[in-house]
Amino acid sequence: MKIAVCVKQVPDSETRINLAAPAAVLDQSGFTRILNPYDAYGVEEAVKIKEAGGEVEVTAITIGPETVKETIKKDCLAVGCDKAVMITDPVLDGADEATIATVLVAALKRDEFDLILFGNKAIDDDSGQVGILVAEKLGLPHISAITHLEIGEGSLTAHREIEGGKEVVKASLPAVLTCQKGLNEPRLPSLPNIMKAGMKPMETVTCADLGLEVPANLVEIKLYSPPPARAECKLVEAEEPAQAAKELARLLNEEAKVI
Amino acid sequence: MPNLAVFIEQRDGVLKKVAWQMISEARRIADANGGEVWGVFLGQDASTATAEAGKYGADKVFAASGDALSTYNSEAWSTALAGFCKINNPDILMIGSTAMGKDLGPKVAAKLECACVSDAVGLKFDGGFEIRRPIFAGKCFTDVVPKTAISVVGIRPNAFVLEEKGGAATAAETFDPGLDGIDLKAVVEKFETSGGGKVELTDAEIIVSGGRGIKGPENYQLIEKLAETLGAAAGASRAVVDAGWVDYSHQVGQTGKTVGPNLYIACGISGAIQHLAGMSSSKCIVAINKDANAPIFKVADYGIVADLFDVLPALTDEVGKIRS
Ligand SMILES: Cc1cc2nc3c(=O)[nH]c(=O)nc-3n(C[C@H](O)[C@H](O)[C@H](O)COP(=O)(O)OP(=O)(O)OC[C@H]3O[C@@H](n4cnc5c(N)ncnc54)[C@H](O)[C@@H]3O)c2cc1C
Ligand SMILES: Nc1ncnc2c1ncn2[C@@H]1O[C@H](COP(=O)(O)O)[C@@H](O)[C@H]1O
Repeated sequence: MKIAVCVKQVPDSETRINLAAPAAVLDQSGFTRILNPYDAYGVEEAVKIKEAGGEVEVTAITIGPETVKETIKKDCLAVGCDKAVMITDPVLDGADEATIATVLVAALKRDEFDLILFGNKAIDDDSGQVGILVAEKLGLPHISAITHLEIGEGSLTAHREIEGGKEVVKASLPAVLTCQKGLNEPRLPSLPNIMKAGMKPMETVTCADLGLEVPANLVEIKLYSPPPARAECKLVEAEEPAQAAKELARLLNEEAKVI
Repeated sequence: MPNLAVFIEQRDGVLKKVAWQMISEARRIADANGGEVWGVFLGQDASTATAEAGKYGADKVFAASGDALSTYNSEAWSTALAGFCKINNPDILMIGSTAMGKDLGPKVAAKLECACVSDAVGLKFDGGFEIRRPIFAGKCFTDVVPKTAISVVGIRPNAFVLEEKGGAATAAETFDPGLDGIDLKAVVEKFETSGGGKVELTDAEIIVSGGRGIKGPENYQLIEKLAETLGAAAGASRAVVDAGWVDYSHQVGQTGKTVGPNLYIACGISGAIQHLAGMSSSKCIVAINKDANAPIFKVADYGIVADLFDVLPALTDEVGKIRS
C-alpha cells in the first residue's frame, strides 16, 4: 500500500501578527515555522498503518520554500515517513487553495497512491479546503475531519464528528482523508531518528518538473487588517463574589442585552 | 444586481439556523443592490424550510428530493448544488460553516471550478463581492475578492444578524438534482448520537466554557448547570480536554471548534492565544478568573476576578431568576 501525506509548513500558533493598520501585504518573514498540527495527525496515522504490518510506503508531499526541508526532515521523515517530495517554486508564492490543490494533484498523479492524507485545515489560512479540492480533482472519495480510522480490504471506515454525534463513513480505496484532532497522538521525533532522517530520499521539484503550467488564482486577498479592537474590560467588583455575580447578571441582561 | 443563493441545511428534517442568518444578510445586500435571494433545499419535505426562508426575505426556494438526498452524502449533495448553480447561475452560493457545510463547500466549488472562500464573517457587494474572513486563528482579517463569476462562500454561524422581513412564503420550485446513476463514493453507514438534547457549540448563541480552573472533572457540572440555565452550550479549553475531563467535542480553540456566539463566558480559562483563536469573534465575552493578570481579561467585555467556585453557583441562581 502506498500512502501520501500532504503537509504544510505554517507559522507557529504562538506567532504574533504585527499589523497596526490595514495593509495590502502581510510580512511573514520573521515567523517561526512548524508542521501544521493537523498534518501531524496525518503523518502519525500513516506511520501507524505502516507499523501495523504489510508492505506500506509513506511519502510526505509539500509545497513550500526551501525552508520546509528542516520541518519535513524532523516532523515527517524522522517519525517514520519513508521519503519526501518537496515542490519548491517561487511562482507558487501567494498561491491560493485551488492552485495548491492543482499542483498537489500533479504531484500525486506521478505515483499511484492508495490513500492520501491531509490535515483538516492549515492553521495559517484556516481554510480547510485543499484535501477536499484534491479529492474532487482526482475523482476520489473523501471523508473529512476524521477522528478514527480502520483500513479493510480495499476499503476503509472512518468516523467524523458532526453536531450532536458522529458519522461512520465507509469508502473504497483509493481515498482521500482529512485528519482531525482525536485521530491519534502524534509521536515526537527522537534525536537519533532526526540524524538518520537525513539519509532518506528527499526530492525537490518545480512546477515545470511536474509538467505543470500554474493556473491563475481564483481568489485574491485585497487587504489584511488587524482584528477589530475590543472595548476595555469592565471589572465587576463587590464585597462578596455572590454580589459580583448578581451585578454581572444584571449587566448582561440590561446593558449588554445578551441574556 | 447579484443573485444570492443560500443553502438551507437540514439533517433528519432539523433545519440549521445559520441559513436564516445568511438569508437575512443576502436580503440586506439584495435590497441595497437589486438582485434576488434564493434558498436551496435538499431533502424530502421543503415546506417548513420554504415558509421560514420566506420569513427572512427569500424571494424563492428551490428544492430537490430523491433517495440520494434522504441522508447526507457529499457526492450526491455537492452534485445537486453544483447542478443547481449551473442552471440558475447565482453570483454567490452561501453555505453555513457547519460540519456538513465545511465538507460540502469545497467540493461544490471544485465541481464548478470556481472561487471558494471558507468561514467568512462579513460580506460586501460593490459591483463584485468582497468577503471578510479571519486568518491566523483570528489574529488577522483579510478582505478577499473572488475572481470567478460565481463563488462558494462558507459563512460562520452567528456572523450575520437575523432579521424577519415578514415576506410571503413562496412555494418551493423543484429542480432535478441530476443524480441518476450517481456513484456515491463515500457512504455514511450510521450516525451515533452523543446523547441528544444538548445545545451544539458551533451554532450556540451563548457558550459557557470551563478551563483548568475547574480543578477536576467532577466540577464540570458547574459549567453545565450555568449553560443549561442559559440555554447555552458547554465548552472547554484544551487543558480540560487533554486531561480527559470532558470529551474533545467540547474543545474551543485553534485545534477545537471556532465559535462566535453573542455571549461567551470563560470560567477558569487563562486565555492562551490558541484558546482565543476559537472564540475571540464572540460578541460579548465574560471572564471569571482569580488571576487579574490572566490574558483572557484583555479580550473580555466583563470580568470578575474571583474564585469561580464562589461565583458560578450565585451566577446560575441570578440568571435563573432573570430568565424565569
Ligand atoms: C498547537 C496548539 C494548539 C492548541 N489548541 C488549543 C485549543 O484548541 N484550545 C485551547 O483551549 N487550547 C489550545 N492549546 C493549549 C493552550 O496553549 C493552553 O495550554 C490552554 O488553552 C490552557 O487551558 P486553560 O486556560 O484551561 O488552563 P491554564 O492556562 O492552566 O489556565 C487556568 C486558569 O484558571 C484560573 N483559575 C485557577 N483556579 C481558579 C479558580 N478556582 N477560580 C477562577 N479561576 C481559576 C487560573 O488563574 C488560570 O488563568 C493549544 C496549544 C498548542 C501548542
Ligand atoms: N502548501 C501545501 N503543501 C502541501 N499540503 C498542503 C499545502 N497547503 C495545504 N495543504 C494540505 O491541505 C490541508 C488543508 O489546508 P487548507 O485548505 O489550506 O486549510 C493541510 O492540512 C495540508 O494537509
